[in-house]
Amino acid sequence: MNSQIRRVGLGLSVCFLVLFAQLNWLQVFGASRLETHATNTRAIVRDFGRPRGTIATADGVIIARSIEVESSLGRERQYPEGDLYAHTTGAFTFNFGATGVEKIYNELLAGQTDEQKYGDLSALLEDGDTTGNLTLTLRDDVQRVAREALGDRNGSVVALDPRDGSILAMWSYPSYDPNTVATVDLAAASTSWDTLRSQDPTAPDLAKAYRQTFPPGSTFKPVTAAAALSNDIADANSPSFPASSGYTAPLTTSTIGNFGGSTCGGDIAEGIRISCNTIFAELGAEYVGPVLMREQAENFGFNEAPPIDLTASVASVFPEDFGAHLRPSDKNPDISIVENTPALAQASIGQFEVRASPLQMALVAAAITNGGIIMEPHVLSEVRNVKGEQIEEYKPSVWKSAMVTSVAEAMRQMLLTTATNGTAVGLQVPGFEVGGKTGTAETFSTTNDTHAWIIGFGGPVGEASTVAIAVMVEAFPGGGQQTGGGTAAPIAQAVLAAALQPLTAQLGEG
Amino acid sequence: MRRTTELSLLFVAVVVIVSTYVLASLGREAEIPANIFPFLGIIVALLIGAHIAVRRLAPMADGVLLPIAGLLNGVGYVFIARLDEDLAANQAMWTAIGVAAFVATLVVVDKVRLLDSYRYTFMVIGIILLLLPLLPGLGQTINGSRIWVSAGPFNFQPGEFAKIALAIFFAAYLVEHREVLAMSTYRLGPLHLPEPKHLGPLLLAWGASVLVMTAEKDLGSSLLFFVLFVTMLWIATERGSYLVVSSLLFMGGATLAWMRFEHVQDRVDSWIDPWADASGSGYQVIQASFSLANGGVTGTGPGLGRPDLIPEVETDFIFAAVGEELGLFGATAILVAFMLIIGAGLRIALTATQPFEKLLAAGITTLLGVQAFIIIGGVIRLLPLTGVTLPFVSYGGSSLLSNYILLALLLRISHESTARQMAPAKSGPRAKADA
Repeated sequence: MNSQIRRVGLGLSVCFLVLFAQLNWLQVFGASRLETHATNTRAIVRDFGRPRGTIATADGVIIARSIEVESSLGRERQYPEGDLYAHTTGAFTFNFGATGVEKIYNELLAGQTDEQKYGDLSALLEDGDTTGNLTLTLRDDVQRVAREALGDRNGSVVALDPRDGSILAMWSYPSYDPNTVATVDLAAASTSWDTLRSQDPTAPDLAKAYRQTFPPGSTFKPVTAAAALSNDIADANSPSFPASSGYTAPLTTSTIGNFGGSTCGGDIAEGIRISCNTIFAELGAEYVGPVLMREQAENFGFNEAPPIDLTASVASVFPEDFGAHLRPSDKNPDISIVENTPALAQASIGQFEVRASPLQMALVAAAITNGGIIMEPHVLSEVRNVKGEQIEEYKPSVWKSAMVTSVAEAMRQMLLTTATNGTAVGLQVPGFEVGGKTGTAETFSTTNDTHAWIIGFGGPVGEASTVAIAVMVEAFPGGGQQTGGGTAAPIAQAVLAAALQPLTAQLGEG
Repeated sequence: MRRTTELSLLFVAVVVIVSTYVLASLGREAEIPANIFPFLGIIVALLIGAHIAVRRLAPMADGVLLPIAGLLNGVGYVFIARLDEDLAANQAMWTAIGVAAFVATLVVVDKVRLLDSYRYTFMVIGIILLLLPLLPGLGQTINGSRIWVSAGPFNFQPGEFAKIALAIFFAAYLVEHREVLAMSTYRLGPLHLPEPKHLGPLLLAWGASVLVMTAEKDLGSSLLFFVLFVTMLWIATERGSYLVVSSLLFMGGATLAWMRFEHVQDRVDSWIDPWADASGSGYQVIQASFSLANGGVTGTGPGLGRPDLIPEVETDFIFAAVGEELGLFGATAILVAFMLIIGAGLRIALTATQPFEKLLAAGITTLLGVQAFIIIGGVIRLLPLTGVTLPFVSYGGSSLLSNYILLALLLRISHESTARQMAPAKSGPRAKADA
């Protein structure tokens, strides 16, 4: 019996050692993954009743603040602008955690970073208020224009400064009022939350501007063009594609037509100006090929979530695989005709399985006007303590190098022409240098309803652009052929015009 | 000598418990609790009372077990008090009753043999207790498990007491039948099996644990009973084939239960991927993980974490509360404490000279060790979650009471076998004189 008893002891010891190992994983090695998990509301609950800094726009409008209330929770987080900034600030809720800026900069707002807690010894001794007040890069004047211009059409507007990645405006309709879920009336908050969740996956608290992707349609053509230019396969003026009303890719009999059944042809610059499908379908499928197309798309940031300082931004998609090599292309022997070349032709005009978030398309415009460089998009400008001293400043950094400067400059010229004498003329802002590219994306629904897109940029004549923009208006049943030039351009034009005006500080409310 | 060790260790335990209590109160209220001296008094009185009882009733018993149980009980109490004042008052009462039961057990069971002679009484008691919750009108379903019995103002879990009775019965029965059970007349491939009719008890135990699992929906107790029986059967017969056969039976039963019963599926699903239903079935275990992660290596400090976010934290999930506020250090200390209990308990089993005592000591130790392993494993997501209490630490009268009784039985066995070994040397001359 004794040898069995010893083995029981050995067995139990092994069991407890395994417990110890798992405990180490939970408490030490895997702890940070758990602590930052989206559903982990511990830090939020801890901070709920404590003082919390304000969030303000670049022009001084307070968009989130904490007010002491008569409730066991102590304080309530309020959003004076209602739905206007909901997708950026997110909501700071008791039961459902936090999203957006409230989540990402929670420690700074709550005054819980080590620097805030221990940086100022006097505050430590006085048990002082260490909270941080955030200033965002968003401009209230531009944001309001975006909301007004889009109206009650489902869609998104993203405007940013291509030079440093600052988001100037970001609006999606529908939005929601974060006060309804942040209220200290927890029963009401729960009801509101359940209502939102019952509408998933299209609930209005989904920040579509950076959290949903759509087929980008013709706004993707600059990516295809850049792929050709970057790899010396073509330049803006050669080759010239014959005029055609339809392109039939190798291995298929079905034809890609032009918008409205028109006939068009010419060089790449002409193709961009009039948004000629047949040119880019052929260019992508038979000149550039799947490998270089994907490489260029990824250089623009596709297949990777933009590192914006908000929660759960999504990656835009360029398909990874178009099948195996079949034979060299007749047009460019260096590249392959592959099994799925017909799909590649579709992908080259932003259809097939290509998907882009409005933020990603704004970054494409930014890259074109910023010498090929994409800065990390961000909403934080700076943080100040309660005494008004700056304790943190956002430092811009490069995210992607999409193209070499010469290619970017060539692309920029094409988009400038498109806005002066092409499909994007609706984007013009008098007195400024404006470029753009429209898009009309098919949705693969049974109807002909289309998404309307436009991307663009603008700035003082002869100088670097100060604004890059993307607007998309979603297809809706019975909406028919909404075009980028007709539907999206006026919205983008209004927002661009507002964003090009210099920043004027408003009187803060708080 | 052993009693001096026990007294010094008890002193250390008191210091640890009282300082944790003070820190927990400071963490929450930023002031020293007003009732600190009564609290100190009660703790000291209970532990010293138990110590004196051991000194008088079982002076040669192991000196480590009582201080460790006291430490676990005290730390558990501090966390319960920190989480819920009302429960703490109950727990204090149950601790007092538990210590009283400990002393009473030492008094009543003055010879281990006594238990042996009542084996069938214990069997009947064990089976009745096990099935009691199934009686209509008496049984109560709480949190999905029908393991409670309601009698007047009190709810109790008869399963906690059934395990004592069954451990005693198993020990007595197996010692008597070990030779028959160990005979291998029957070969199945590489396995030497006893005659099929001797597999009867094993199948009976398996059937009972399946019944507990399905009818009472109590996965933890079911697993505990089965492991207890199989371990004791193996120790008694020294036949590895029983382990193989019972592992197969266990896997078969578990698979069947998983296929047929939704509550088993839920447990398994939320073990494999709690995130799939993070706000529903996976909520508790996810919150426990967050709690432990929040604690890190050194813990948030007593009273400074948020273990209250875990449902049922005072009972099944108390380990997560300790892990959060005392960190990896504190949680490891709990593990070490249980390993010390296992070590001391199995040492008692090894040194015991009578087969019955040996087997009972090993069984009791297995019960305590496996129960701790099952629930801690469930809390830290190493095993599917099964609702059993953490011995001595969790909130709960039935559990505390039964574990103190088990402790007393272990000490009684320890005392007797030590006394027997010392007898020739010490009382040799006197024995001669008596003759």
